[in-house]
Amino acid sequence: MKNKQKSTPTPSHPRLKLVRTFPRFNAIQRWEHAALLLCIAIQLATGLPQKYNTSVWSQAIISSPNRLTAIQQIHHITALVLTALVLFHLGRAFYLIARRRLSDDMLPSYQDIKDAWNMLLYLLYIKREKPAFGKYNFEQKVTYWFLFFSIGIMLVSGYIMWFPEVITRLIPGGVIPAAIMAHSTEAIVTFIFIVLFHFYHVHIERLNLSIFSGWLNEEDMRKYHSREYSQLVSASHTDQDSGDTKA
Amino acid sequence: MFKLSPIYKLPVIFLLVSITILGSLFWTNPTHASEPKQQTEEYCLSCHSKPDLKMTLANGDIVPLYIDPQKLATSVHSPNGIECEACHTNITTYPHPPVTYQTRRELARTYYSACQKCHPDNYTKTMDSMHARAAEAGNLNAPICTDCHGTHFIQPPDEPRTLIPATCGNCHSQEYSVYQSSIHGNVLKQELNPDVPVCTSCHGVHNIQNPLTPEFRVSEPDLCASCHANQEMMSKYGLSADVYSLYSLSWHGVDVSIYQARWPNVQHTSAVCTDCHGIHNILAPNDPNSMVNPKNLLVTCQKCHPGVSPNWTGAWTGHYKVSLERTPFLFYVDSFYSIFTPLILWVVGIYIALQFIRFMVDRVRRSL
Repeated sequence: MKNKQKSTPTPSHPRLKLVRTFPRFNAIQRWEHAALLLCIAIQLATGLPQKYNTSVWSQAIISSPNRLTAIQQIHHITALVLTALVLFHLGRAFYLIARRRLSDDMLPSYQDIKDAWNMLLYLLYIKREKPAFGKYNFEQKVTYWFLFFSIGIMLVSGYIMWFPEVITRLIPGGVIPAAIMAHSTEAIVTFIFIVLFHFYHVHIERLNLSIFSGWLNEEDMRKYHSREYSQLVSASHTDQDSGDTKA
Repeated sequence: MFKLSPIYKLPVIFLLVSITILGSLFWTNPTHASEPKQQTEEYCLSCHSKPDLKMTLANGDIVPLYIDPQKLATSVHSPNGIECEACHTNITTYPHPPVTYQTRRELARTYYSACQKCHPDNYTKTMDSMHARAAEAGNLNAPICTDCHGTHFIQPPDEPRTLIPATCGNCHSQEYSVYQSSIHGNVLKQELNPDVPVCTSCHGVHNIQNPLTPEFRVSEPDLCASCHANQEMMSKYGLSADVYSLYSLSWHGVDVSIYQARWPNVQHTSAVCTDCHGIHNILAPNDPNSMVNPKNLLVTCQKCHPGVSPNWTGAWTGHYKVSLERTPFLFYVDSFYSIFTPLILWVVGIYIALQFIRFMVDRVRRSL
């Protein structure tokens, strides 16, 4: 997708502070994230009490057999919503690929490995400066792709557990206990990953709400996405320059 | 007042003395149960050792009154001094009080309450049994103490051990014959092995409960585990003692354990041991007739999962630990996560910790 700076008119009032904002996520991406957040939250809230059924907090939630059935139904319905979301996301990606319009910003690259190495050196006080990141740094790519595969595992194993009779008409029965184990373990790994990795980067390192608002301010752009920033700025300058007659 | 002459004093003294003696008899009247000191047996047997002695009750029931003295001498009671009067409390001498029982059953149901005098614990337990409930519901044939233990010639109930199922089999003949052909019954018959469960091992002895209740169902794996999770006992027969702990990890076992712990009164259908292995008809899994023999397993699964394909049985890990040979899919998933989970936790944990340290150090430096 294209990134354009918002036009910044000349300040009419001297005290007015002008904040340049850079578009980061479009409306579809923001809605996708909101839906995903909701789905994962519901799946964890209804799944973890089933896994940790002997704990006190779980027993407070699952207080009766009817409550257990209700929780399982919520889990199943949310799984359908999540599946629809994944299909939409993949469908849109294929649509954009077909139109040659899919940005490669999120694809892993050699640059990410270099960035990760340099970041490690920076964290160990071997280098003084953080690497200059593009639109999505390697941390954000790791988050995306980790969740991409994790949700894939959760959906596949979840459907195997939901329809075991149908599944075993097609594939060996041994996959069912394997799916139960994968579903249960992957959920915990994903949960811990989100809390440790994602929450640290968007809440503690800095409060980054661009996935809800859609934009980043100039300071954050310069600080956290300096490579993208310099590209954008130079691009906009060339845009401005073209056709201009300079004195 | 008038004065009595000495000759008239004698009957008064006699009366007073006899009243005192009679009164003292009441005072020291012994309770027969606690101190069975009667020497009645010999006296009773003077008539009751006649083989043709019998009586006819109002409904035509004939009650044989013959007691074989030799058999009586081998019972648990007679040699220990507990003689006729201990139970036949209403008969102290001859002629006996008139017999008012209408039927032989009525006679038995009246006399058996005498057991309570010496065996109050077991007697009270029977009051809370399935048999007592059947009697309350009007079935007078429901068993009482004497139906299982006998009457005059009571023997230890478990000598030999095969006597226990045989006793239950007097009424529960179908269960008895099925049990006899099961792995448990068969081994009992051949070896008199004290480890082998008999009816009472699972159903209890005096307070036998209804085995069809939800509570009985969900606690049933624990019942089997009382032997089958016993490492020492199972190793004697080359059996795995892990069957119960591995079952507890399975889908069925988790489900059942939740219901057992929290809603034991709610009927639940997740499989317990007997659903797959059978109840009285349990056979060794390698027996071709066993419900869990690989040949029959699909049919057994289909009892609860109708119409599943032959692949379905592969979903059951068969009380075995995760292994490459038996459960390859589970093995690979297990191996993957045993590496992947700690790897992710350590890498992410260390990375975030480093980031946080650098972040805080920079912040502190800037504020200095």
